Amino acid sequence: MSEFDRRGFLKASASLGALGLLASGMPAWAQGSSDARASEVLQKQIPSTGEEIPAVGLGSWITFNVGRDIELRNQCADVMSAFFDAGGRMIDSSPMYGSAQDVIGYGLDKLGARDRVFSTDKVWTAGDGAEQIAETSDRWKVEQFDLLQVHNLLGISENLPLLFRMKDEGQLRHVGVTTSHGRRTEDLIAVMKNERLDFVQVTYNPIDRKVEDYLLPLAYDRGIAVIVNRPFRGGSLTERLEGQPLPEFAAELEAKSWAQLILKYLIAHPAVTCPIPATTKPAHAAENMAAATGPLPDEKMREQIAAVIGVLV
Amino acid sequence: MTEWWDYGLADLLLFSPRVYYRLFETMNTTWWLVVASALIAGLIASGLALRHGFRGNRVILVLLALVWAWSGYGFLWQYYQPINWAVPYLLPAFALQVVLFAIFAARPLPLRFGWRGDLSCYVGASLVAFALIVYPFIGLIEGRDLVQAEIFGSAADPTALGTLGFVLLSRGTWRWVLLPVPLAWCVISAGTLWVMDQYVAYLMLAAVWVTVFCGWLDLKNGVTTKRLTEAEIRDPAA
Repeated sequence: MSEFDRRGFLKASASLGALGLLASGMPAWAQGSSDARASEVLQKQIPSTGEEIPAVGLGSWITFNVGRDIELRNQCADVMSAFFDAGGRMIDSSPMYGSAQDVIGYGLDKLGARDRVFSTDKVWTAGDGAEQIAETSDRWKVEQFDLLQVHNLLGISENLPLLFRMKDEGQLRHVGVTTSHGRRTEDLIAVMKNERLDFVQVTYNPIDRKVEDYLLPLAYDRGIAVIVNRPFRGGSLTERLEGQPLPEFAAELEAKSWAQLILKYLIAHPAVTCPIPATTKPAHAAENMAAATGPLPDEKMREQIAAVIGVLV
Repeated sequence: MTEWWDYGLADLLLFSPRVYYRLFETMNTTWWLVVASALIAGLIASGLALRHGFRGNRVILVLLALVWAWSGYGFLWQYYQPINWAVPYLLPAFALQVVLFAIFAARPLPLRFGWRGDLSCYVGASLVAFALIVYPFIGLIEGRDLVQAEIFGSAADPTALGTLGFVLLSRGTWRWVLLPVPLAWCVISAGTLWVMDQYVAYLMLAAVWVTVFCGWLDLKNGVTTKRLTEAEIRDPAA
């Protein structure tokens, strides 16, 4: 922790202060602001470019892998529609996710939403990364991705230079790396320290909090935006909390569900840019986006949320 | 840095049970005539295999080659492959199984189906009956609609399970050649079903274990070591 400004990070965390006030004590890129179109949805800045994106995104792992089933593809398009209508932009996928990329491309076609999406995907191969990216681009039917990440650090020695080269040549807007389930932490830290990353994607939720110790402060200090995967532990966390009454303080945060409470817990962290919950239900997509509106918990309340959920699951 | 072997079983499951079982619904409704024909082929093959001394060896092998070919193309390639990127790596195994059945059917190789009355026969007959008759209804226990039934000859799991049964109903020194692919499929599928919290995974694994046990028993009892006579090979009714 001594290698970066831990004190500054802790100060920023502590200074979340009163409910709903993410701003004080945080650098400009970590502060929220409102986008006129997305009305009240909290926007967070990407530290490296200053660009703002909504504080909740949409994942596609499992949920969008529906093959050629047209009925299920239309259901996914409905989820995307609800997500965009609620002010969402970032949709994340991977070549590893089966047909998810095709399904996103189908949804974007159907909704005519290519100008609204913050296209986020990954390169996941130890072989020809350029060829895979070209296939990914065909599936999304986008010419330029907003963000490409090296998936689980696979083939990073070849793929990361490729992504940087693409960015330098104007073929790509942001570069990142991903891990999940807390794997390869040491390798990830090395990459974060040594490379000029725009984004890093990690697993984080009120149960899996290991990233709070080092990775999130490091990302904050290095000005790397953080995407959070598995915010609901692949759905198992919200399933286990289902039926349990929300704590009283949830009303203060205007959280109407455990999902919203968890998302508020995540986006209130000063280093977190955007959790990417996945869902098959349009109503849940809208509900998730709504978590980026209204008050957010301060550090004390975040600890309460983690404690309550830790007891219940 | 990360390598392929860093991935666990759960990481590689990329679809939900809802989507997985919809595959069978779509296939059953779109290809119902082929699905029904493949099931009938299985029923005919089972009838022939259970009769002692019937000249049905080649018919059984041809029917099994056909259902494996259909299951590989119809289910794996047309339906399963879009949601599972690993399918292209598994398809060659299905093609190999088809070729093996075809070779056994085309040449007078030492393999003969028929009722011997030993434990392997009872287990084999049970596996065939389970795959053909019981397996399609298993989904009802889990609350799935019958239209999502996994049917022998089209869906890969009951096809592999039934094939294990057919092989146990045969004898001959080269019988084992027909076992690796269906055994491997059962193990792979059990892993998929287990990650999806489907209890039928345990049945798949149980079928693997009981087949391996019966194979060992047959080896010990000479069922798979005693060479068929030239007359038996050339004339299965002998």
